[in-house]
Amino acid sequence: MIKLNGYEMKKIIRVKNLEYIYPDGTSALKGIDLDILKGESIGLIGPNGAGKSTLLLHLNGILGEGCGLIEILGMKVEEKNLIKIRQKVAIVFQEPDNQLFMPTVFDDVAFGPINTGYSEEKVRKKVKEALKEVGMAGYEKRCSHHLSLGEKKRISLATVLSMQPEILILDEPTSNLDPRVRRHLIELLNNLNLTKIVAGHDLELILEICQRVILLDEGKIVAKGETREVLSNKSLMEYHGLEVPLSLRHR
Amino acid sequence: MHLPEIDKFAHLKSPLHSWDARVKIVSISTLILSIVLLEDIRVAFLGLVLAIILVFLSKIPFSFVLVHLRWVLFFVLALFVVISLTVPGNLLIKLSFFSISREGVRLSLLISLRAISAALLVFPMLGTTRFYLTLKALQKIKIPAPLIQLLMFTYRYIFLFLDEEKRVFIGANSRGWVRKTNLSSLKTIGSLVGMLLVHSFERTERIRDAMVSRGYNGRVKTLDEFTLSAKDFIKASLIIAIALLLNLFRWIR
Ligand SMILES: Nc1ncnc2c1ncn2[C@@H]1O[C@H](COP(=O)(O)OP(=O)(O)O)[C@@H](O)[C@H]1O
Ligand SMILES: [Mg+2]
Repeated sequence: MIKLNGYEMKKIIRVKNLEYIYPDGTSALKGIDLDILKGESIGLIGPNGAGKSTLLLHLNGILGEGCGLIEILGMKVEEKNLIKIRQKVAIVFQEPDNQLFMPTVFDDVAFGPINTGYSEEKVRKKVKEALKEVGMAGYEKRCSHHLSLGEKKRISLATVLSMQPEILILDEPTSNLDPRVRRHLIELLNNLNLTKIVAGHDLELILEICQRVILLDEGKIVAKGETREVLSNKSLMEYHGLEVPLSLRHR
Repeated sequence: MHLPEIDKFAHLKSPLHSWDARVKIVSISTLILSIVLLEDIRVAFLGLVLAIILVFLSKIPFSFVLVHLRWVLFFVLALFVVISLTVPGNLLIKLSFFSISREGVRLSLLISLRAISAALLVFPMLGTTRFYLTLKALQKIKIPAPLIQLLMFTYRYIFLFLDEEKRVFIGANSRGWVRKTNLSSLKTIGSLVGMLLVHSFERTERIRDAMVSRGYNGRVKTLDEFTLSAKDFIKASLIIAIALLLNLFRWIR
C-alpha cells in the first residue's frame, strides 16, 4: 500500500530550510526541509518540545513568516495567499475546547466556510455534510460545553472538513480519548481521502494511518522513512526519548 | 444574573419564547426605560405589576427569579434605609436621633419600585432566548462588535474557567492546603489565581490560533437565524404602547 513513487505524485507541501524563534528567544525550529506528496499520510513524531506543533502552525501561516520557504500547492505561504492557504490546509488542534470557540456546534462548523466567503446556502450545505461525515448529524443547535470529549473531537474535525481542505493536519488527535472513541476516530480518519499529517505520541495510530514518518527532535528532523522501519528502530527511538510501539516489538 | 444560567429556561414555550429576539429586546428595553423614568408612585406600582405579569407569562419560575434577584433586593434595601434617613422633609417618624421623612420614604419607594421592575423585566427579555441567539440579536441591532465578541467568548469559556478554578483549588487542597484567613493563605490564593490567569491567557492564544487557521480576520460572522412574523410586531406594539401609556399619565397631569 505504500505509494512513494515521487515521479508521478505532486508535491503538495514544500518546506525549505525553515527556522523559527519564538519572541521569547526559544529556538523552536532549526532548519527544516520537508516534502509531502499529494495523498500521503505522514506521521510527525518526537519528544515533547521537539517543535512538532510549531512546525504545523507554520503550514498555514499562523506564526508569521519565519526564515526559509514554505509552499503549499505551489503557493508561497505569505500574506497575499493566506486566505486561500487556510482554506486548503486545515488544522485540528489538540484540545477541542480551543477548537470549538463558538456558542453552538452549527456556528463552529460554519465559521470556516463563512470566512472562506461561501454563500449562505453553500455554508449550510457544507455544515450538514461535514457533521454527517463525522457521524454528528443533528447536533447543530447543541452547545459545545455540554458535549463529551469524543463528540467534541469529532465536531472539531467537522469544523475543518466543512472548508473542504486538501490537507488535514492533526495535532495529538487521540490524547485523552478512551479506546472506543479512539478507534472510532481512527476509522473516520482512515476513510478520509486527503493528504494527512498526524503529529503526536500515539504511535499505534500513526502505524495504522501513516505510510511515512518524520522524527523531530530539538527543532531538527533527525530521521524520516517508512513508518514501520523508523518506529521499529529501537536505538533511534530510545535515543530521542520515544519507545518502539508494542505491536512492533519482537518477543 | 449568573451568566451560565442566563438561558436555563430558554427551552420552555411561551409567548415570550416565541417572540423574535431582536424585537423582544428592543421592545422590553423600551419598557424598562419607560419604567425607570416614572415619577408617580402609583404608576410605578403599575409598572411592577406589569413586570410581574411578564415574568409570569414567560413561565420562568419565580423561585429562580428571586434567587437571582437577591443582590438587587439587597441593594434596594440598603438604598431604602439610606434615603429614608437622609432626605429631609415632613417628619414621618422620629426615633431618638433618627428621623424619617415622608419625602424620603416616597423617594426610596419609587426608586425601589423602578429598580425591581427593571431587574424583573430582564428575565422575560434575556431568559426566554438561548443566549447565543440573544447575542446574534444584539449584533443585528447594531451593538458594537467588540462588546458582542467579549460577551460571546465569556459565555463560551466561563464554564471552562470555573472548572479550571475548581481544579486548581482541589489540587492545592489535595496537597494539604486549607483556606484560612491569614497572610500565608492569602499568598497561596494569590499565586493560584495568578496561575489561573496565566492558563487563561495561554488558552486565549490557542483559541486565536484555531480561529486564524479557519480564516478569522477580526470579525466573527454567523448566519442569520431570524424570521419575522406579524405576531412579533403585534407583541412589540403592545409592549411599546404600554411603555408610552405609563408615561402618558405623567404628561396628562
Ligand atoms: N508560544 C510559545 N512561546 C515560546 N516558546 C514556545 C511557545 N510554544 C512553544 N514554545 C517552545 O518551542 C519549543 C517547541 O514547542 P512545540 O512546537 O510545542 O513542541 P511539541 O509540539 O513537539 O511538543 C519548545 O521548547 C517550547 O517550549
Ligand atoms: Mg505539541
